[in-house]
Amino acid sequence: MAFDQQKVLLFGVAAAVRLLLFTAFPSLPNLLTGRVEISTPVTSFKRLQEGVFLYTHNVSPYDGGVFHQAPLLLPLFSLLPNPAFHPFATNLLYTVVDLLGANALMQIAESWQSAAPRLFKSSRKDLRWSSIAIGAGFLFNPFTITTCIARPTSALTNLFILISMAKASQGAGATFVLALSFASYLAMHPILLFPPLLLLCYDARATKTKSTPPLLTFAVVHVLALAAALGGLLYLSALLMGSWEFLAATYGVRLLLPDLTPNVGLWWYFFTEMFDSFREFFLGVFWLHVVSYVPGLTIRLRKQPLFVATTLTGIFAVFTPYPSIADGTLYLSLVPLFRHLFPLMRYTFLASSTILYASFIGPAFYYLWIYAGSGNANFFYAITLVWSLGLSVIVGDSLYAALRDELDVERPELRGKEVKRI
Amino acid sequence: MRSFLPLLFFNYLIAFASAASDYYERLLLRPLPRSALLASFNFRSNESSASFDQQHFRYFPRSLGQILQHAGTKELHLRFSLGRWDAESWGQQPWDGAREGGTGVELWAWLEALSEEEAFARWLTLTNALSGLFCASLNFIDATKTIRPVMSFQPEGDHHNSSSLHLLHGTLPHEVVCTENLTPFLKLLPCKGKAGISSLLDGHKLFDASWQTMAIDVRPICGQDGTHCVLEMEQTVDMVLDIDRSKRPRDNPIPRPLPIEEIACDTSKHYNAEDTCYPLDKSAEPPWNLTDIFGRSLKGACPLTDEDGEGAKTVCINTPPERIIQANTTGQYVETRLASDTVRCYKLPTGADFDIDLPEQQMTTGLVLASPPLFAARSINGHGQERGSIQAVIRNPSFTDSVEFVYLESLPWFMKPYLHTLQARVDTSPSNPIKETYYRPAVDRHRGTHLELCMAIPPASTLTLTYDFEKAILRYTEYPPDANRGFDVAPAVIRLLSPGSSGKQGVYVRTTSLLLPLPTPDFSMPYNVIILTSTVMALGFGNIFNLLVRRFVGADEVQTMGAGGLQGVLRGRITRLRAKFTTG
Repeated sequence: MAFDQQKVLLFGVAAAVRLLLFTAFPSLPNLLTGRVEISTPVTSFKRLQEGVFLYTHNVSPYDGGVFHQAPLLLPLFSLLPNPAFHPFATNLLYTVVDLLGANALMQIAESWQSAAPRLFKSSRKDLRWSSIAIGAGFLFNPFTITTCIARPTSALTNLFILISMAKASQGAGATFVLALSFASYLAMHPILLFPPLLLLCYDARATKTKSTPPLLTFAVVHVLALAAALGGLLYLSALLMGSWEFLAATYGVRLLLPDLTPNVGLWWYFFTEMFDSFREFFLGVFWLHVVSYVPGLTIRLRKQPLFVATTLTGIFAVFTPYPSIADGTLYLSLVPLFRHLFPLMRYTFLASSTILYASFIGPAFYYLWIYAGSGNANFFYAITLVWSLGLSVIVGDSLYAALRDELDVERPELRGKEVKRI
Repeated sequence: MRSFLPLLFFNYLIAFASAASDYYERLLLRPLPRSALLASFNFRSNESSASFDQQHFRYFPRSLGQILQHAGTKELHLRFSLGRWDAESWGQQPWDGAREGGTGVELWAWLEALSEEEAFARWLTLTNALSGLFCASLNFIDATKTIRPVMSFQPEGDHHNSSSLHLLHGTLPHEVVCTENLTPFLKLLPCKGKAGISSLLDGHKLFDASWQTMAIDVRPICGQDGTHCVLEMEQTVDMVLDIDRSKRPRDNPIPRPLPIEEIACDTSKHYNAEDTCYPLDKSAEPPWNLTDIFGRSLKGACPLTDEDGEGAKTVCINTPPERIIQANTTGQYVETRLASDTVRCYKLPTGADFDIDLPEQQMTTGLVLASPPLFAARSINGHGQERGSIQAVIRNPSFTDSVEFVYLESLPWFMKPYLHTLQARVDTSPSNPIKETYYRPAVDRHRGTHLELCMAIPPASTLTLTYDFEKAILRYTEYPPDANRGFDVAPAVIRLLSPGSSGKQGVYVRTTSLLLPLPTPDFSMPYNVIILTSTVMALGFGNIFNLLVRRFVGADEVQTMGAGGLQGVLRGRITRLRAKFTTG
């Protein structure tokens, strides 16, 4: 089958590129692991190695300030041979993670939930890219490749988010809940994707079975399932570690931001410069701010739950405490699903040039601050502002396009005309 | 050609004099190469346990005694140090390094407590009280600077109920030791710097030394049968003075070049001329006397020292027998020669100044300096303010004995070591030198890293220990005022297990402290950062919620400012209001 041949070719080339980069430049993985743009304190591969080292030497990795990642990663990575001497197994794992992520992304594209969900048929729904093109956009995105080479655990989180979206858009409730609970277990904030994905799953199920089960029962069942899955994972972790202290060291660190290592997000410099007496207040405000998008978007865009989930990943890439370009790459890979919105977007050039500008100048300014000493922290801070601004422009602009698209269906007479917001 | 006599460095002289009397003091002078002079002051006062418990203090200072009782301290070791012991030229440290401290302040103590929490509370009491007593910032030894060493320290005293004893150790590498610490130190002495060898201690010279360390050690010592316990307090000051530098007069301290006629020139140099000179190394021992190099005169014996016996020999000098030494005093003194004449000791006159004068002398014999058991150096590798690695190079100079030792690191929490990158290599053997590891990782803002490694070096080998670390960025209020200077990292402590010492004191070697530069934020603009970040967030939030809460209508369906300007808007409002009233 020609289609499958294309897919095999795509995956083969993508895997070959990754493995070639791993083997041809053996120092590249460690170099990229050290980049603050890719590795954050809660996802860094070097910190994971330290955690595995302490775990295999019977020191609790959570009784320290270095390791802040989920406990179940420890037995997984302790099974692999030491990446300092035999890196191939780890490299292969991360390549496979990327391929599985691309596969899930292609499943989302094939489900066509982006342009034609149950309750809404976009007037431009035939404007779309093939799933191969979307998969290639993910696999050959330079951000994805650098993320894969740097091996942060956010690659795993991204995989589970993509799988949960794919399963939700196929209406497979159990696997969706399981994948989302894994993603939330690893990174905590993906749990905020649950409301839109639950609606997506409900819509997909309703389309498939041609009957609408009561939404409330559906929601209750899935909430209970999610709670059970998460509870099971946490209980398993506690059994593994022998205590619950990992909660404070993993989720507590994400909530309270004790480690102010620079990253591409907005939090680290804000809380470096924050007055001590206001620290807790602003932590609360910032988290509330992130959470506030979930109900707003889910209610307003009830008819397009996949778009809500996509927009939320974009918001996470900007407004969570420890974002990295891995979060940005997840959002940027999901945006091409909404090819039909592109003609309605107004600031495409501005946003893409901002993102490109930040990606090129960011490492240079970081170098000026940390190594050359000819710049100060404000240089890198300014670039993180630009990066965040660029991503939030895309988020806002695509949201405008989605709403405008809905308007075109509701009031076809306004199509192509100038509109106002009141 | 100089011949070398074996140097018998005589810690033993001090060892057998213990417990003989309640107060004992001794100054040992030892000329070192390149016109350096080691001066070791040792003071010891005993108090029987019974009278200590009844708060009956005679030689033991009441101020310190009450602090120890209040904080439940059974054994105390306090060090104030400056400079670096240059083991390559000066040989083995005095007291085998057991009375040496890391740069800054180092404190360790065995406290009696039922639980770890109680021990820590008492530790805080102790550090705060000592801080007041010694005018030092010891109160800054908090949980982040305190560790509980496992292998590196052993109690020196006799403790019978050692189960409830807790060892705590804290360092302040940034502390600058100075005169305000010496004054309270001297006040603890029974003669208070007015008489005896302590009258030589002057802050101007002590803190101008190339290396100096002041130590206070309090420990209980019991007889063979476990009774007749005494509490012994030992105060030690060791300093290495540069004789030329010390002899400069205080009113004219700036060194000035000698006139060229007074310098012996190396005429073999091709550029040697009337006005250019390469000075020859002086082979003669420089002339000095006590008053010149200490800046004060020795005010005779402290009346509390013994009248005769070992305890009476208060000033000793360790030189080759041929060195001419002239004692200058108006009172009566006694000179004794020990250890095949390489040590000369003097019993001081009471109530009269005493000085020894050593003229310039061309020597034909010299003393062999004992080699230290280990040479240790530690440095930070890498550049940039993001990460680096520590490299410790430890060399065993002995050709016959392998050395087993414990290496202790106490790192601040903002320096995050990666233990999986820890590597130890010995250049002569491929086997792993690490026998045992104790590691307690740091927790941000709560405690520092504590690493103890038990290692062994084969004879004539060098061990290289490396590990990577990452530097944390701190909140801007956590930086000191001179943030770009960097942060001090406490010296590593090395304790030799074998060959160890005969006594309980142990053999120690310390590295220097390190300066760790951290990335700094811009301290001038907290408001700007708050405003700019909030602006970006407001742009995102405002944009998105503006779209979410409003609805779209056609541009021609709404009245705008465009048609009639402000007037038009107002007219529209009025029309709408009127319509409301007329319908309502």
